[in-house]
Amino acid sequence: MDCSSSGQGISPETLAYMELALDQAKEALDSLEVPVGCVIIEDGKVVASGRNRTSETRNATRHAEMEAIDFLLGKWQKNGLSKLEVAEKFSKCNLYVTCEPCIMCAAALSILGMKEVYYGCANDKFGGCGSVLSLHSGNPQSLTRTLLSLSLHLGLVPFKFYSGEVRQEGKGFKCSGGVMASEAVALFRSFYEQGNPNGIPLSFAPKPHRPVVRRATS
Amino acid sequence: MDGAKKTDCCVEITYIPDTPPIPPDQQPTVSVFASVLTEPKHANNLIRFKFVSCLVALELPGPEKFPSFSPFSKQMVTNVVCSFFWFWSRRLNQIAPLEDLPHVKRIHKRHLEGKVQLSIILCLASGNDDQRIALPQAVKELVDSYQLSPFVTQVGLSFCVVCAFQFLSEFLVWLCMIKNRDRDDELGMLCCWLFVLNQVCKYAATSKEQWVEQCKLWPTSYHPPTFNIDGITGFSDEDSQSVYRFMKMAIDLANTRDNLITNAAVIVNPSVQQIIASACDEAHSCHKHQSATSCCNSSNGIQSQGGNPLSGESLEEPQRLRIVASCLNPWQWSQQECSSTSTSYQWHPLRHAALVAIESSAERDRRLFPGSDNLANQSFEVEPMLSACERSPAKRQKPDHENVKAVGNGLDSGNHDSSSALMRPYLCTGYDIFLVCEPCPMCAMALVHQRIRRIFYAFPNANAGALGSVHRLQGEKSLNHHYAVFQVKFQNESLNL
Repeated sequence: MDCSSSGQGISPETLAYMELALDQAKEALDSLEVPVGCVIIEDGKVVASGRNRTSETRNATRHAEMEAIDFLLGKWQKNGLSKLEVAEKFSKCNLYVTCEPCIMCAAALSILGMKEVYYGCANDKFGGCGSVLSLHSGNPQSLTRTLLSLSLHLGLVPFKFYSGEVRQEGKGFKCSGGVMASEAVALFRSFYEQGNPNGIPLSFAPKPHRPVVRRATS
Repeated sequence: MDGAKKTDCCVEITYIPDTPPIPPDQQPTVSVFASVLTEPKHANNLIRFKFVSCLVALELPGPEKFPSFSPFSKQMVTNVVCSFFWFWSRRLNQIAPLEDLPHVKRIHKRHLEGKVQLSIILCLASGNDDQRIALPQAVKELVDSYQLSPFVTQVGLSFCVVCAFQFLSEFLVWLCMIKNRDRDDELGMLCCWLFVLNQVCKYAATSKEQWVEQCKLWPTSYHPPTFNIDGITGFSDEDSQSVYRFMKMAIDLANTRDNLITNAAVIVNPSVQQIIASACDEAHSCHKHQSATSCCNSSNGIQSQGGNPLSGESLEEPQRLRIVASCLNPWQWSQQECSSTSTSYQWHPLRHAALVAIESSAERDRRLFPGSDNLANQSFEVEPMLSACERSPAKRQKPDHENVKAVGNGLDSGNHDSSSALMRPYLCTGYDIFLVCEPCPMCAMALVHQRIRRIFYAFPNANAGALGSVHRLQGEKSLNHHYAVFQVKFQNESLNL
């Protein structure tokens, strides 16, 4: 295992979970999907895993993270959990994903209020955790937000907040990159080297951009 | 604003550009060091520079041995100066490229009282005043190699930085003349090379007005955009009508109760005016079961008022339109309790209208074009981009499978040939989406992934909008797909709520 490239100080658990995420990514690769995989960990246990299914579903939003989230939500709803309980549970979950979440997934993770995210390689073209946008560094409970919820509580309609410049930032989550990045990149490399898997001519399907190895700061 | 078009059906379609619109006279600038070469009285020195450039070009011995007399005419001097500057410009582009300023011209030629004055940008000036005085080492070496002594650099810089943030060449020359009284030997040099802190515009002009204004500071280049997405340069009445129709459809879909609007999405194949998919927010399952006020967290409400899309009289009306779309405040899903225990469908904090619509279009794709085996047999030739002036929608894009069936094998029309009849769309390439609210980053990025061609929305989303309000995804150059974004503004009466 090459964790020297990922720097020191990465705990063995983190590496073990990332190993599981990489397994998911390999499964995606075997199914001729862009090889990204993830696992969601709650209290040290794997509660969900997911991998890219964009080609299979013909839905380009079916990224690994979305797959795992949907699985988890379905499971919790089946158990009869309320929204608040689900939100509470998400706030205790960590995500391990082989590639930096794209803007869509980073926004989704922020909406759900995920606790921590660990990723492998950075995603210079689409990354939402620092590469293109920084959706993980939200501004939870700013003063205006507190005031806003207070006034709402009192039944006031603060439409002035919306017409003005005041914005509510999303929830942030802690994010660390560079965990086994070279392994994640190697999977991408073999994916792009095996050619165009679905027989869709390159002129038709835009060529995906290969993420590059880059150490992200947490 | 660009692309705004008002039509009979009381709808105004505004293009939301890649970069925030800036008034021409308020464009952001960056500081650069420029060097002024004053042409008039110092012909000898200019000729010396000519030799410098020739020497370097021919790789002859260094610049210190050139003659300091001038047998040349004034016109020749000017030409020489030009060519010398071009040489400098090339060298400087190598050692101090203006990386983020491709629109800025390196050389500035001005006519001052009948004389030509040339200036060249040496490098970007960054940081505070102290750092500004320090030129990058490479630039400094270049300057030094032409006997532009450190003295010149320092004097020029300190005077210019301290005294002249504006381009006041006479003033600067005067300063140098004073300085030269006790150092006669360096008079010529000093008068030729003056370093000035200049302002250039940071971004390329997006309109001619901006460009004219930019050139007042420092010349830039301007390339009028050549759009290949219909509508950016304006909509025909026919197109506006169909935009109005689909947007109305989305709003009707979203309008669950009086004056209460969730988000809704309609994906349309514009070439054949066909609806591919439509969906409402499914983040909360409760809006069918509860009263309007309690069903959705009131923090999601937007009161329509002046400045909002519903213009004019809506303020006076007792009933106001309220929008409760998921995209407006996606983070508060957990607080939106629904007392209803109905499990008719499940809530999902990420099932915003756009995502549901995308899923439904993907489902349609799988249904209409099952199996990936026949994928290879189908013709995937992408139609070459036709000119934007071709207004007939049918000619722009060939119809998809379903539509051809509806038309009846397309034998009656030259556009419906057999190869296109089997054409399967790649994701949502070529499709438009109509959204009631400006989407949040998640939905906006999902639409990038799904290759939507154009986005129309009715209400901006100051809280979380990713298409101009908070973020501007259509302007993120690194993304592999870019759609065109439009806001559709209704006149109050035409909305007819």
